[in-house]
Amino acid sequence: MILEPITPTVLSVRRLQNADPALIASYGGDPARHTALGLVTCDQDDAMYVALDEATKHAPIDVIFAKSFYAGAAHASGRLSGEILGVIAAADPAAIEAALEALLRCLAHDACFYDADGKRGVTVFPHVIASLGEYLSREAGLAAGEPMAYLVAPPLEATVGLDAALKAATVRAVRITPPPTETNFACAWLTGSLDACEAAAVAYAAAVVDVAAAPKYK
Amino acid sequence: MSLTRQLIAALRDSLGSSAPMAPAPKLTPVPAPPARVYTPSHEHSAFAAEAARHTTALVGIGHVGTRYATDVVLQFQAELAVAHAAVGAELPVEWAEAHGFVGVATQVTSHREFLLRPDLGRRLDDASAAIVRARCKQQIDVQIVVADGLSAVACMQTGKVLHDAVARACEARGLSVGTPVAARFARVWLEDEIGQITRAKVAMILLGERPGLGTGDGLSAYVVFDPKIGNTDGDRNMISNIHARGIAPEDAAQRLAAFAAAMIEQRTSGVTLDLARLGGNTRGYRAPQVRQKLVNA
Repeated sequence: MILEPITPTVLSVRRLQNADPALIASYGGDPARHTALGLVTCDQDDAMYVALDEATKHAPIDVIFAKSFYAGAAHASGRLSGEILGVIAAADPAAIEAALEALLRCLAHDACFYDADGKRGVTVFPHVIASLGEYLSREAGLAAGEPMAYLVAPPLEATVGLDAALKAATVRAVRITPPPTETNFACAWLTGSLDACEAAAVAYAAAVVDVAAAPKYK
Repeated sequence: MSLTRQLIAALRDSLGSSAPMAPAPKLTPVPAPPARVYTPSHEHSAFAAEAARHTTALVGIGHVGTRYATDVVLQFQAELAVAHAAVGAELPVEWAEAHGFVGVATQVTSHREFLLRPDLGRRLDDASAAIVRARCKQQIDVQIVVADGLSAVACMQTGKVLHDAVARACEARGLSVGTPVAARFARVWLEDEIGQITRAKVAMILLGERPGLGTGDGLSAYVVFDPKIGNTDGDRNMISNIHARGIAPEDAAQRLAAFAAAMIEQRTSGVTLDLARLGGNTRGYRAPQVRQKLVNA
């Protein structure tokens, strides 16, 4: 069965109600504004980036740290490491709670990789964000509220898919990250109207499925 | 179903998949962290408790965890609201004439300008200067001015009462009192110009003072000898906190009349006035102010 969602597995969720200022500073936070932290690990880094962005729309929090781990979840340093550690920070532990709830809902119901070949040998992340939150809009250099297509696939599939996506609709590449990345996937962020982002994401997914079905000589 | 899932489900259909996409898994709630309940901790310091009995300042209020108790916060917010309302209130134009005053206005044209431009609130506009010249008694001992200042609420509540008490107290000491004047959008130094026009020996302005927490109804009185434009604050004597929970208007009136008499006798006011020669009734004991409870939490 192709294009079946692969639900990300949340591996750990912990809070630090009153984290040490040195720790907050070294993870990129501002000890003057941040006291409480929320820590989440998950086995899909890109789903987590989207979920962190979603969380910024639900509570006054800042994403102070989010980094993918080398070689991905299959080569994690421990059974709770997964592929990414996300750290959110706020002045108020209640904000962390509200943000975590939104983040986990997004991971369970929205952001996920899809199986592109029916054997989970090729996966694709053709995600459309209808309205960017504070975190990804800052990372992408776009205004909060703009739509964005967040497209991830393995190296060659991503290359073919990105070409198809850019030609499918009037979209503009905000950032293209060629392989290798930490997890050896390739990534592209496209923006345009919401319709254009949707069309680009669908074309990207269709191209990845096509490459997965006929990898050679087409 | 999320936007992306809908798009991919449609793509699956168009690629020939007939089976419906697997539904998203049920959301398992993340157990909330153990709730920490803090019990209110009352003030332990005997010093702070004793100090709290003598002031309405926020001392000796205890704490809950690292924060204030809810009733303390609500009380603070209610008191701040009282202060905001007092600053925002305006003295109606017709208030002066309705209460037997000669109504005058300063060069201020709006309430906002009044707050932003203290200099304009210190000078009469041309029409008002003419009114003072035409309607007020000249060459008197004491010219009393009632004004809104930063709390029109206080002026409307006790302005008239305090004026009448001060006028009675002055007359009891044999001082001649000028025509009562009420000024709108006025600052303290306005007494200089009015006193200069009426050629009074002493000018006195009774005006709403800048509200503190929970006291939007306080009046202050500023007294100056030989009022003339250019006098400074060093030339004035003043009494503040004239309200029901502070200095009663009757007591304040006695002290103000004593100020006026002493100024005329010593021919000076402000820092050079010898308060030791004022007599006993000017500095009585005042019971500590008690905080009014505005909120029941």
